[in-house]
Amino acid sequence: MTFPLLSLIVFLPVAGAAVLVFLRNDDAVRWTALSVTVLDLALCIAMLAGFDTTTHEMQFTERRPWVPALGITYALGIDGISALFVFLTALLGLICVLASWVAIDRKVKAFMVSLLVMQALMLGVFCALDLFLFYVLWEAMLIPMYLIIGVWGGDGRVYAAFKFFLYTLAGSLLFLIGVIVLYFNGGETFDILALTAQDLPFRVQSWLFFAFLVAFAVKVPMVPVHTWLPDAHVQAPTAGSIILAGVLLKMGAYGFLRFSLPMLPEASMYYSTLMLSLSALAIVYGGLLALAQDDLKKLVAYSSISHMGFVTLGIFALNLRGLEGAILQMFNHGVTTGALFLFVGLIYERTHTRSIADYGGLMKAAPVYTAFLALFTLSSMALPGTNSFIGELLVLSGGFAASLAAGSAAVFGALLGAAYLLGMYGRVALGPASVGGRYKMRDVNAREMAAILPLAVLVIWVGLYPRPFLDVMDVSVKHLLTHVQSKGSGQ
Amino acid sequence: MTAAALFQSALASLPEIVVISGACILLILGQLLGKGRQHFLVWASVAIVLIAAVATLMLAGEVRPAYTGMFVADRFAVFFKFVFYLATILTFLLSRKYGEIEGIGSSEYYVLLLFTLSGMMIMASATDLLSIYVGLELMVLCTYVLTGFLRQERRSNEAALKYVILGAVSTGIFLYGVSLVYGLTGTTQLDAMAAVVTGDPLDPGLLLAVVFIVAGLVFKVGAVPFHMWLPDVYEGAPTTITAFMSVGPKAAGFAVILRVFLNPLVAASEVWIIVAVIAVVTMALGSFVALVQDNFKRLLAYSSIAHAGFAIFGVVAGGADGIASVMLYLLIYSLMTLGIFGIVIMMRNGDFSGEVIEDYAGLSKSHPGLALLMLLYLFSLAGIPPTAGFFGKFYVLVALVERGFVMLAVIAVLLSAVAAYFYIRIVMVIYMREPERVFDPALTPSARATLAFTAVGTLGIGLFPAWFLRLAQVSVFGG
Repeated sequence: MTFPLLSLIVFLPVAGAAVLVFLRNDDAVRWTALSVTVLDLALCIAMLAGFDTTTHEMQFTERRPWVPALGITYALGIDGISALFVFLTALLGLICVLASWVAIDRKVKAFMVSLLVMQALMLGVFCALDLFLFYVLWEAMLIPMYLIIGVWGGDGRVYAAFKFFLYTLAGSLLFLIGVIVLYFNGGETFDILALTAQDLPFRVQSWLFFAFLVAFAVKVPMVPVHTWLPDAHVQAPTAGSIILAGVLLKMGAYGFLRFSLPMLPEASMYYSTLMLSLSALAIVYGGLLALAQDDLKKLVAYSSISHMGFVTLGIFALNLRGLEGAILQMFNHGVTTGALFLFVGLIYERTHTRSIADYGGLMKAAPVYTAFLALFTLSSMALPGTNSFIGELLVLSGGFAASLAAGSAAVFGALLGAAYLLGMYGRVALGPASVGGRYKMRDVNAREMAAILPLAVLVIWVGLYPRPFLDVMDVSVKHLLTHVQSKGSGQ
Repeated sequence: MTAAALFQSALASLPEIVVISGACILLILGQLLGKGRQHFLVWASVAIVLIAAVATLMLAGEVRPAYTGMFVADRFAVFFKFVFYLATILTFLLSRKYGEIEGIGSSEYYVLLLFTLSGMMIMASATDLLSIYVGLELMVLCTYVLTGFLRQERRSNEAALKYVILGAVSTGIFLYGVSLVYGLTGTTQLDAMAAVVTGDPLDPGLLLAVVFIVAGLVFKVGAVPFHMWLPDVYEGAPTTITAFMSVGPKAAGFAVILRVFLNPLVAASEVWIIVAVIAVVTMALGSFVALVQDNFKRLLAYSSIAHAGFAIFGVVAGGADGIASVMLYLLIYSLMTLGIFGIVIMMRNGDFSGEVIEDYAGLSKSHPGLALLMLLYLFSLAGIPPTAGFFGKFYVLVALVERGFVMLAVIAVLLSAVAAYFYIRIVMVIYMREPERVFDPALTPSARATLAFTAVGTLGIGLFPAWFLRLAQVSVFGG
């Protein structure tokens, strides 16, 4: 048995949370949470350093019987598709702790415990190689997230928390039935790799595809099941928004990549047109809604819907560029949108308003803040030289190869993105100063800088030199694509 | 019956004999000791149950038919008896302080609980419609009295009266079904019945008999359309008795239902369609009506109706996995229900009734530990992993899908999403409201022990279900 690195990465935050329970001092709680997340991130980087980019096989695998009577195992492992998200989750976990340092001033301990538990569950979801384990972790995330939104959120937090909980639960429960049906059709096993190797009849695949679709579409979220997202995002505390946008939304797309495509290849190909249309709808509709927002957080939330539309578009383009672009774009969206929510949170801490109309001329009062805001805004609208440019370009070229209409819609969506993002930036940062007079504005401090810098570095690194990131996923994505095309063309 | 057979029979029913004689001794001792000996009563009662548990464990090795086919001590019965012991002991532990506060801590209270336990044990072991009837009556007669134990309270009296009348009617219906079966087959033994009828299982007379028996049994587990008594009785009864009734007698009802319904005769009569309809309607009614409850006990009553509905889905699935899933579900349900009732019971202190959900607002601020436990039980009741409640539901769904009832499984999960709403609403009240009062729960050592035990069970079975799953699977009769 090799060293259980993945288990360590997954369970370290839980252990940290257990330690927190015994601490009495709020500052001690913060520092402990910070060191746990730093350590976890260090472990993830060590894991990536040892990651072999030449194979599509699962790496760092661990396997232990859990419920043998039902063929359930505790199995962890990562491949090129999940590796980036494990890293992203650990990074955003750290940033969440930094973002909540002063923003959370009551029940600090409970908040940090929820945050760390949440991080462990998210890491587990990306590492799980057993469908039952995956489901348990996937659904267990509802508990800490419900509390994070509902206890530490804004004025409408209770409603938002309920909506988030019930939407996600209803979606997941159909997924659960799908999992059980898959279990009986796939040789009574929950092993994801074994299930991937099965050939299911098309009829079964179709049913399962829709059962899975409900769960993943709610998480992504795809139009028309996106309505929980603006509420949850707006009401959640900054850290909650970062987790939601940065990691949780990725899980729906990850579900498509890990389950729908490899396990249900025929159905995925058969329904790809439907999925492309839904994605195009999300891109345009999300963009239009974002254009109409006055609330900063709502604007970023609706832009997420549009951006996640790019991701699903790339996935269901079912070609190499589309898939690689989608995965890279998932990573980019986590970084960029995470950063944007962080920025909204930072300014909200100072002014206690999120209405764009209240701002203006921020550049004079907080030059460093606005400079970085510009970077992330440009990244979000996929300006060349930033990370999203590479991802969106790949998605678009994949999308056009799959469907001219969907590709065109995506281009239109990208234009909309430029409109609402530039509009937002112009009204907040430029023009005559309206905030400076009314609020005491201060620029970013060292702690906030520590949260911003890693994200800024990633934005530029991926924008200028995306090779290492694409290399990590390349072999796995090619393997996935061959698998889907060889199995899916049987119809 | 020879002396040897009698001895074997007595041996097989040793746990029942222990409980009944213990209860009789305690009845006499209770009169001699007089008032104010709560402490002794609780520990003596717990000791009696523990002795019975040891006896049960010693006999668990083999199947022992007894009393000429009226009774059997098999692993199926052993499993259920342990659920009963668990429910009874935890109820005793919770009753000490509560009994003092409400002034119901007389010896009769404990003695009646022990007699109820013996009735449930007989039900779990009964293999003849008549011995089932004896166990059933022993159980319900005691619970009638226990329901009305708050003699000064109108609510309690009303509940007891309602319960007696409706219970008597349902028992009558059950007996009528039994008499029809006897008339048609010439026997009341479950095994012999199946052997006698070799012809058409859809004989209208037989079908009628089965429907009557079903009606009688379904009343005891509080399934629709025989659920009307349940919310009133649960609300009116002393909370300890409510906790006990929502676990013990319900599990006993399911023990009988499993034995009767999965008898080849009943299984062949396509009665499962009726049962499936009952399951769906029961779960739907329990879940939807619970949405609008303000009273904690009433809410838990409807929640227990919904859970009974979910367990009936396992009965519909049938087969070894179906039976095992119901058994595991009942074990898990007992732990989490006793846990949540445990908290409601200990909140009853001073002038705080602990019965109104809104009264729990902001509990997490002053009592974070207690709030966290409630969170655990509530999410478990809602069936969210990694709690045991999720695994119980998961296994029932596995059994359903295994038999091809995918649509029923879908209905079951959608209804449990509805049910999740009212559980997380309580979580919301506890965590997301500001406190309006000072909480002073009666945190006695025995109540703490109860909570610790149920919490460990609720989380432990959720994280490490393998051993419990195997236990349920090997306890399935015939398998």
